[in-house]
Amino acid sequence: MTTQPNDQGIQWIDAHLHLLDRQILDVHGLPIAVVDDLELSDVPEGEEIPRDTAPPVITALLSGPVLGARIFGGRPPRSRSQSMPWITIIDIGVVIKLAITGETTDLTWTERWVRDRIIGRIPGGRHNAGKD
Amino acid sequence: MIITDLLGARVFGPDLLGYVTDVRFSLDTHSIGLPARLHGIIVSPHARSSSLGFERSGVHSPWPIAALVHWRHRGSFLVHWADIERLDERRIQLRPGFERASSELP
Repeated sequence: MTTQPNDQGIQWIDAHLHLLDRQILDVHGLPIAVVDDLELSDVPEGEEIPRDTAPPVITALLSGPVLGARIFGGRPPRSRSQSMPWITIIDIGVVIKLAITGETTDLTWTERWVRDRIIGRIPGGRHNAGKD
Repeated sequence: MIITDLLGARVFGPDLLGYVTDVRFSLDTHSIGLPARLHGIIVSPHARSSSLGFERSGVHSPWPIAALVHWRHRGSFLVHWADIERLDERRIQLRPGFERASSELP
């Protein structure tokens, strides 16, 4: 389920419904991660919020090792998550498209390492069959 | 703060009103680069988690699932950011006289 902007250009986004667990694609359309969490700008916690306080904004999408926490509870430390700045988003729909390549983030490090250190050393492993 | 700090949090007015099932943001698509701004929180009196958004949209099929989700999230409402008085760990306090808006997606 996605939402489209209304006549005033306002798009309503529900975090859990439209963002969390969505696939993230890079500028080439390649999947690089899944949205596991959202980072919000600073919000006063543990104290009364003044009436004229500006609402927080989403500053980044977060992706990290959350499987165990989803099953057994708790939350991994923030330092274990990779962040993708909100400014890099170019489209929000069934998937979320970013204006960056996966090669420029640590999110695809494991795939790059396997490609370069293991697959690349197999005879024919550097041949791109899809381009024949 | 991260969004999962808010999801599932208990919401209090004078008493326990329910749980945060989702957080709604508004995005101005006419201005490139503007961030999504928190508009409000969706509070469900009976459920701690959101269920595919059936209760907030015009989707009514398959009818057994839609009926079950509507029943599970009966009484859900939207609280605007301005009506949130205090954010504590897993607990949100609303201001006196807060408005219960419709949780349906515009």
